Amino acid sequence: MIIEEVFSSRGRVRILRILSEIGELNISELARRAGLNYATAKVHLQILKDAGLITHKSFGRIRIFRFNEDNRKAIMIRKLMEVWEQENSGDSKEV
Amino acid sequence: MSYGSVFRDETKLDINYTPPELQHRNIQFKLLNEYFRHAIMTPGKMTQRVIITGKIGTGKTVLTQHFGRSITREAQQRHINLHYIHVNCRQNKGSFFLILQKIVAHFHPGFPKRGYSAEELLQTLMQILDDQNTYLIITLDELESLIQNEGSEPMYKLSRIEETRLKESRRLSLICILRELSWLSKLDASTRSTLQNNIIQLDSYTKTQLQDILNDRIKSAFKQGTVPFETVILAAELGEEEDGNARYAIELLWRAGKYTDAEGGKEVAPEHVRRAAGSVYSTMRKDEISTLDYHKKLFLLGIARRFQQTRSAHITTGEAEESYKIVCEEFDKKARGHTQLWKYMKELTTLGVIKAEPSPSNSVGKTTLIGLPRIAAVDLEKELNNMLKSTGEDTSDDN
Repeated sequence: MIIEEVFSSRGRVRILRILSEIGELNISELARRAGLNYATAKVHLQILKDAGLITHKSFGRIRIFRFNEDNRKAIMIRKLMEVWEQENSGDSKEV
Repeated sequence: MSYGSVFRDETKLDINYTPPELQHRNIQFKLLNEYFRHAIMTPGKMTQRVIITGKIGTGKTVLTQHFGRSITREAQQRHINLHYIHVNCRQNKGSFFLILQKIVAHFHPGFPKRGYSAEELLQTLMQILDDQNTYLIITLDELESLIQNEGSEPMYKLSRIEETRLKESRRLSLICILRELSWLSKLDASTRSTLQNNIIQLDSYTKTQLQDILNDRIKSAFKQGTVPFETVILAAELGEEEDGNARYAIELLWRAGKYTDAEGGKEVAPEHVRRAAGSVYSTMRKDEISTLDYHKKLFLLGIARRFQQTRSAHITTGEAEESYKIVCEEFDKKARGHTQLWKYMKELTTLGVIKAEPSPSNSVGKTTLIGLPRIAAVDLEKELNNMLKSTGEDTSDDN
C-alpha cells in the first residue's frame, strides 16, 4: 500500500492517533472519539489493517482494534506523531 | 515552614494498604500456597477453589492480596504467565457483569462497556486467557453481595466454566471471601459441592496479636517515639472488643494521630484513642453507608431516628417501617413496600450496619428485632443527613 493512501484521510490519521495513544478500542468507541460514523470508521480501520499498522482481535461479537506494536512503520508513525505534538506545543508556547 | 505531625506516612494506615509482612496469618498464608502449589508446579493441569471466611477486620483481604503478590512474583520468576485479580463484589454492586467487566478490563482496558451479556464476557475472558497463555486467580471479596444480588448462577458458571473446556488448559482459579459460611447455603447443591472443599477460617485477632499488628504499622506510619506503649495497648483492647477487628484498631490509631496533630501534640496519648473511639465507627462505615441506594439511606435514617426516640436496645421491623414512611414524607418520596424494606434490612444486616434477629420465642407474636450495635443513632443520623444532602435527588426511576 502506498503511503498516500494512509495519510490522505483525516479520519484515518485521527484513528491512528487515538490507537497510538490508547492502545486498543472497539469500533463504536473509536468512531465516537474520532467523530466519525460507524461505517466510515470501519472502512478506515480496514485500510489501516491492510497497511499492517493496526491489528484486530474478535471476542464473540466484539472486535477490538489495536495499534500494531510489532510493525516498524507503525512505530515510526507513532514517533512522528509524538514529535509533531511536542513541536506544536513548543510553537504555541512561543506564540 | 515545617509542619509538625506525629505521622511519618499516614497512607500506611489506609484501609487499602497491604503491608509487606503478614502478621499472625502465616499458617493460613502457607495453606493458601499449598492449595495453589499446582499453579506454580504444573500450570494448566488443574484449577482450585478456596473459600476464606472470617469476621470484619480479621485479615481476609490483606491475606489474599499478600498471597496474590507473592504467587505472581514467584510465577514471574519461573516464566509462568499468572495473573492475580482482586475484585470487591460489593463495590461492583454485586453484579456479575460488572465484576467480569473489571476482570476483562485488566487485560483489555479498551473493552467496550456494553453490548454483550455476562456469559459472553465470561467466554471472552477464557478466550483471552487461552490467547495469551495466561493463568488467572480471581479473588471475589465480599462474595455475599454477589450471591445476594444474583443468587447461585454466577458461582455456578464460574465454577463450571472449566468443565466445558475439556481439551483446553485449566486456567481459572477462584478464591471466595465471605464473612459467614452460611451464605453458601444460598447456592445450589452442585455449586456448593465444587466450592466447599477448601475452607480457610480466620479467627478473630487476640489482643496480643492486635498489638503486634499495630506496632508493625506504627513503625512505618508514625514518627519514632510518638506512640507510647499504653496507647497501643488501649487501641488493641478496643480492637479486641470489636470482635478482634484489626481494621478498627488501625483506624482508631490513625484518628488518634489526627487528634494529636490538631492539638499540636507530640505524642499520641490514650486519651486521643478514647476520643477516636467515639467517632471512628461512623468514619469506618462511612464509605459502606455512602454506597447505599437512596431509599436504603432513607430506611436507615428512619431506623436511626426511631432509636433516638426509645431507650430500648431494639426496635421492631414495624417501628422501623413506620419511621421510614415518616422520613419518606419529609423527603417527599414514595415509600417502598414491605417486601423491598425486608430486602433492605437483610442487606444492611449483611453490611453489619444493623443487626436483625428474630424476636425471642417467649414474646407475643413473631417479629424481627433490629439493633444498632456499634454506632450511636445520633451520629448515624447526622452522617446520613449529610450524605442525603450532598447526594441530592433520588436517581432511581420510581421515586
